[in-house]
Order: sequence, then C-alpha cells, then structure tokens
Amino acid sequence: MRNALGREVPDTRAGKPTRPFAGAFASAQQGKKASRPQKTSCRTEDKLLPSLQAAIEATGLSDGMTISFHHSFRDGDRLINLVLDECARMGIKDLCLAPTALFPVHEPAIEHIKRGVVSRIEGSMNGPVGAFVSQGGALREPAVLRSHGGRWRAIEAGDIHIDVAFIAAPQADRYGNACGMRGKTACGTISFSAVDAQYADKTVVVTNELAPYPVHPFEIQQGWTDYVVVVGEIGDPKSIASGTLRLTKSPTRLHIARLAADAVISSGVLKDGFSFQGGAGGISLAATKYVGDAMREAGVVGDFAMGGATTLLVDMLHEGLIRAILDGQAFDLDAIASLRDDPAHLIMDPGHYANYDSRGCSTYMLDVAFLGATEVDLAFNVNVNTHSDGQLLHGIGGHQDVAAGAGITMITIPTLRGRLPVIVDHVTTVTTPGEAVDVIVTERGVAVNPAREDLRDRFAAGGLPVKTLEEIKAEADRFIQPPRRPVFSDEIVALIEWRDGTVIDAVRRVEEWR
Amino acid sequence: MSQVKIGTENKGDCAVRVERGEAGIRIDAKPLVEPGLRLLVEQIADRCGAEKAKIEVADFGALDYVVAARLETALRQAGTGKRCNEPLEGGLDRKPTAADRLRRTRLYVPGNNPRLQVGIELHGADCILLDLEDSVPLSEKLSARVLVKHLLWAVSFDEVWVRINPLDTYGDEDLAEIVPGRPHGVCLPKTETTDDVARVAARLAELESKFGIPVGSTRIMPILETAAGVLHAEQIAGADPRVVVMAFGAEDFTRDVGSKRTRETLLFARSQLVAAARSAGVQASDTVFSDVDDRDALLEETRHVRDLGFDGKGAINPRQIAAIHEGFAPPAAEIEHARRVVAAAEEAEQQGIGAIAIGGKMIDRPVLDRARRTLDLAQRMSAGRGL
Repeated sequence: MRNALGREVPDTRAGKPTRPFAGAFASAQQGKKASRPQKTSCRTEDKLLPSLQAAIEATGLSDGMTISFHHSFRDGDRLINLVLDECARMGIKDLCLAPTALFPVHEPAIEHIKRGVVSRIEGSMNGPVGAFVSQGGALREPAVLRSHGGRWRAIEAGDIHIDVAFIAAPQADRYGNACGMRGKTACGTISFSAVDAQYADKTVVVTNELAPYPVHPFEIQQGWTDYVVVVGEIGDPKSIASGTLRLTKSPTRLHIARLAADAVISSGVLKDGFSFQGGAGGISLAATKYVGDAMREAGVVGDFAMGGATTLLVDMLHEGLIRAILDGQAFDLDAIASLRDDPAHLIMDPGHYANYDSRGCSTYMLDVAFLGATEVDLAFNVNVNTHSDGQLLHGIGGHQDVAAGAGITMITIPTLRGRLPVIVDHVTTVTTPGEAVDVIVTERGVAVNPAREDLRDRFAAGGLPVKTLEEIKAEADRFIQPPRRPVFSDEIVALIEWRDGTVIDAVRRVEEWR
Repeated sequence: MSQVKIGTENKGDCAVRVERGEAGIRIDAKPLVEPGLRLLVEQIADRCGAEKAKIEVADFGALDYVVAARLETALRQAGTGKRCNEPLEGGLDRKPTAADRLRRTRLYVPGNNPRLQVGIELHGADCILLDLEDSVPLSEKLSARVLVKHLLWAVSFDEVWVRINPLDTYGDEDLAEIVPGRPHGVCLPKTETTDDVARVAARLAELESKFGIPVGSTRIMPILETAAGVLHAEQIAGADPRVVVMAFGAEDFTRDVGSKRTRETLLFARSQLVAAARSAGVQASDTVFSDVDDRDALLEETRHVRDLGFDGKGAINPRQIAAIHEGFAPPAAEIEHARRVVAAAEEAEQQGIGAIAIGGKMIDRPVLDRARRTLDLAQRMSAGRGL
C-alpha cells in the first residue's frame, strides 16, 4: 500500500496489518499499555549471580526470544558482543536483537546473524551491520528502525515484547539499583533502558563495579531488576565520542552554522525563556556556539537546552546562559561529570522527551532545533538513514521526535558531499516528513517551508539569503555531473517507523545503480 | 615520456595520471558518480585535443571544474593536449564592478587547494583574491594557474582578483593562463616602480585584445611590500588608469627594512600609502592579520587602519571577514554627526548661505566631504548583509 507520502510500504508486518504513515500527528492511540509478569521478592533473595552464563540461564532465555540493550557507551560498548558471544556458546538461536542502537563496534554481530544466533533486528544500525543488512537476505524479517521516542512507545504498546533486557551499568548494587553517571566507566545517563527494565519479562543489570547499597540516582530500580551480574568490562567511555563530535574548522560548515544562528536571531525567538536542541554534528555544535554568543550579547537567558549533552552545553549552563540541560545521552566526558555534579543538569529519558503516546514531550517545549540529514528533497522530506547509494548506514536517533516537536526545525546541511548532491528530487528514504521541517540551511542559502511564510518574511528582513530549495539545488548541481540512482529490488530489508508506530518508509535491497 | 601525476588524494581533489601510449580512460570513483565523471573526462580530453593519452582519474570528491583543471594540466604536461581558452559550458557570468566599490575585505585563497576554494564566494568578502604566488610551491605553479582559470569559469564572483607572480618570475605565464577567466583584476606583488605596473598593463592589453575582452577592463592592484615600493607609492598609485586600489604587505616590508612588526614601525608606510592612494583617487587596502583565532586584536587593528584612512584589509580566513567589516563600520555617533553635517549643508545651500554651521561651529569643506563619505559607507554597508 501507499502511505500519505506516497511511499510504497508492505500491507502486513509479521502477519498483522501495517498502519501506514498518515501525517505527523494523525494517529491517536486507544487501549492500554502492555505489562510484564508479576513477581514477588522476599527478604532472603540474592539477585547477584556468578556469571553472565548463569544470568542467561536464570532468565530462561531460549531460541526465538528478544533481547535488548542501550547504546549509552555508543562505539565503546562491550556488552552486546559479550552477550551475543555467550548466547552463541550456549547454543541459543534465532534471537531478535532489540538494542536502542548498534555502532561499528558491533560488527561481530554480522557473524552471529550468518550463523543464525540472531535472525531479527529491531533497532537503529550505524555502520557495518546496517550495510550488511542492506545487502538483503540476512534476516528472517525486515529490520525495524524507530526513533528514541518511537522505540519507547513501541515497548509500552507491546509492539516489541522484550524477553530479557541486559543493562550495562557503570555502577550497581547487588539489589539491582543502577546508574550510569558514577563509577570508573561512567557513561552519562542509562535511562534509555528504563523502559526495557520495566517491560521486559526479565531484567539483568550487568556491571563492572558493584557498590554498596543504595546506588543512586535510581535510573534502574531494584523493583524492576531480576538479576545482577559483575563482568570485567561493559564499555569504554572514551569511545563515546564516535566521530561526530568535533568543532569543525571547515569554512563551509562554519558558514552554514553562522546562517543557522542568524536565522534563529532573525526569527525573533531569541528572548528570555528561549530553548533549543543542539545535536553533536559539527555544524550543530558550531551553530550552538554562535547562538550562545548571541544570547550573551543580547543578555538573554534560556530556559533549557536539550540533546546529546556536550562540553559546549555544559559551558553555557555554567556561564548562566541557560538554566538547565535536559540530557538524553552524554556525548563527552565533561557532560558525564556535569550530569553527576550539577543539579541543573537533568536526566531526560526518551519517554519523558519524545514518547508520542504520552501526556507530554519535552520536544514540544522547544523553540528551535538544529538537525542534520544525509539527503533532503524538494518536499522538505529528510533522510537520515540511507545514503544516496541505498545503503542503510545510520539510525534515526531523536530526529523525528525533535523535528515534530520543535517550534522551528532547521536542517543544516552542505549542498554537496564530494560529487554527490544532498538536495535531491526525492529522498532515497523518508525518515522525517517535510511537514515537520521548517527551514533548510545550506551554505548557498536558506530555504523556508512554504507553510512557514512568517519565517520567510523575518529571515528576509534579517538580511538572510532566502531562496527556494529548487534555486539552491540548481546552484549546487552546476558543479557536478548528475549521479546515478540506485535501482531497488522488491525485497524489503528494513522498515522505517514514524514515531507513532506507523510505517513511513521501507528500505529495499539495492539491485544496481543506473 | 614518463607518467605525469597531477592533483592529490585530499578531500575535494582528484589524482590524475596521464601518459602517452594507447588511448584509454580509467576512472576510480564511487559507483554512483563513475559514469558522470567518465563523461566529463571524455569531454575535457576532447576539448584539449588529447591524442594517444592513457588517462587515469581517482576521485576524492572533486567538483567538475577541479577535474577539468587537473586533467588539462596533466595532458599539457604530458605533451598530449593543449590549453583550453574557453569554459566547457558557455556562459561565464562576470559583471563589471564600479571602480570605487566597497572593498573592505580581500580574502586570500590558495590557488592550488580545491578544498579551501569550494564555496569561497559565499562568505561575504567584498573581494576574493585567488593566489598564485606565496601559497603555491614552485612545482605547482602550472597546476595552480590552470585550477584558478577553471575556478574563474565555474563560479560567479561579485569581485574576483588573481594575485600573479612578479613578472620577472612566472607572472607572464600566469597572465596568459588566467586572463581568459576574466578576473576583475590582478594583484601585483612586490610592486616597486611605475614600470612594474606599466609592463603588466601592456601585457594585459595584448591578452585582452587576443581574447576579445574590452581592453583596459582588467584592473591592477599593486601590492607595496618593500621599502622601494612604499617610497614610490605616489607614482605607482597614478601609474595607470587600471589601478583602482593599492595594497600594503607588512610581512615582506618589515623583512625588507629590517624592522619588527608593530603599530609604530608600520605607521610611516601605512600613512604614506594612504596619502598616495588618496592623491591619486584610488583606494587603500591594509595588510593581512595572521592570527586567525584572535578576533579582538584583528578588530582593534582594523579600527586603527580605518582611522588612518584605509578602505579595506586583507583576510586569510573567512572567519576574519565579520571582524574586519565590523572594524570598518562607522560608529553610530559618527553616522549621526555626519547626518547633521550633511543636513546643515543642504539647508545652507537652499538658503543660499555659503558658510555652514552646527551649533555655532563652522563646518568647512573637508568635514562635509568626510561626512558624505561616512554616510555613503554606512548606506552601502547596510545594503549588504551587515556582517
């Protein structure tokens, strides 16, 4: 069937009818949340088990079940590989892997897919596993990619049922309280897993540092935890900054950031109480810095900044430019320390900030967001998942949740990456629909969604180079020969869910390039 | 003839190898861009009249104009192709500019580094200055001038200049290559005498008439950066109608005279240059400031040279543009005062009074002229982005 964006999506998913994407805020849930089995504990119970194998045995994990993980260690995670290796050793097969995200460090998962240990994936894929899945034939069902908020919603709704949640915890007590901001390998918040811990049939906290009761803050609570295991290594926080976190020196990228900041200034939202979301990409970081400069100059104090927390946001908090940081995940070591030490640096789990089926999202409180893209098209649709060659190489992160929520959603992109255009007639994959995107900022000009005439007028009055997307595209295309486009087979390798659980697009296997 | 290698494996560039032998093209690029690149290479080889050329192109994200330049250079160096004097696709969009246009910034861009060239026209610099001199090693002079020519064809610049090498080194070859790219002007480093200007003017006239460009339309910016140059500033400024702006180069100047770079040691040269420029009715542009990260010091130096009478300043990084433009912006109080002076003058003229006064204080002609200049500058600056 075709969804509201005209994208062809399968009629059924795992035997049930597909809910096609109908609009950013078109669906409304009815019914109740899912739940987990009741369990009563007693005074003499000891949750601490001697080994990962013992924990896996205790959970009753068996063929065909679903296991979950968080990605707070990003490219420094050790736990997913550890658990998959153990499962393989124990002869468990046909698992569904449902992490919040996979990174290049998880490349060994490819072997486990080939050997049948893993046969399904419900989670974002960054890098090699995504590339492997794009080639087709690897998984029993198409992989499912969800946004941060979308995954939380899906677990609450019972769309994903987690049999065993494994939670890497830099510090835990033997009764199952755990947090991410303390301990030798502190990684920031681990609250991505809070929903797993509450909805999984069994919850296993895996730590490398057992500490006296009570470990706090209670990101993962004793009342949710079945077992605790101590292992040598769960992750390396030094690898958290996996390539995205550099203050750029590229004149083009700095120029885009400057235009984005000027757009914020011209829009009129930069006043006391201002709020924004800054990503961790080079352009977003630089734009955040420029916005901070403008706030300082104008004497504006913002209510909050949200996002992957970085040194930059921490500095703004300490300087008094913003009153609070809402921290979904730490992107560097300063952010981890600040989360631990500063009471205005707050843990923000995805249910709090992004859950479509909830009674409130922090993203709806945002004035401005800076987001990236691999491609955008003339209808303002954004792709963050696939490259122009059709390879599935990135997760969704919070892109959909933030884009749908923020008052002004800006996509900051260069017009060209090498000889490939970033602005295309039709994106390879729709991650975020054009209706959730207000402004596209490029080095060649700023394009405003026709639905936001108010912004276009303000930008023009502020002296910004306002152009149509068509004009910017034409300017950029003059520098390159048109590239080929991928030709896709009918085989669907992954589904992209919109944050409400509908299917916004399907990723198909690339057959050839033409 | 052995194999010629041109270009690099850096991002935004391509590495081209050409040798004489069995004709053929090998492209090493991502599958999506390979066919387009092959088509382009075929067109350029054809345009350069390549014969018996074995061509290999490895792409690292080079734009079309970079590929064209690298391939043309390689073919010529291998002796299998000739110079292109026209762009591959017709329309060169180069509008003439006013002699006295706003030239607060002249942004130096290395001539042989594609990565630093892409999008350089977008940062709001008043003039772009593509450099063939100091930023280009001797072995890359040909590559650089061919790349600059193709860049001139590919991009519509508001105002673009090329800094050539001195005529007694490679300047003549530079001119022959880049004049078909129709830059608004050429910068002449280490200018010391009126003869230096005259020789470039004569060569420009020859090339302009050869390539069907209006004779006299290519301007000259002498750069004074030696003791002799500074001492001859007055003659140089008036040497040729092509000269519309004269620039100062402090690094070479201090080396030449054996001084240290301070405000005091540069004061004579700067003042001399401004006086010479004013007397000839041309603009004066100050030297570059090399510490890209020290915005405050750059702003201070810009305000200093603005007070000395300079119209502009060199920049070596796009990040410096905003600070320089801020430094040249007339302060609000000065604009307000200028408004009152001009208003008083207009009122006096209407009433047929010769003398102008504000609050009993007489305003003489130079003050009125200065006020008009301030208002003109303020008006022109607010017409831009105000960066």
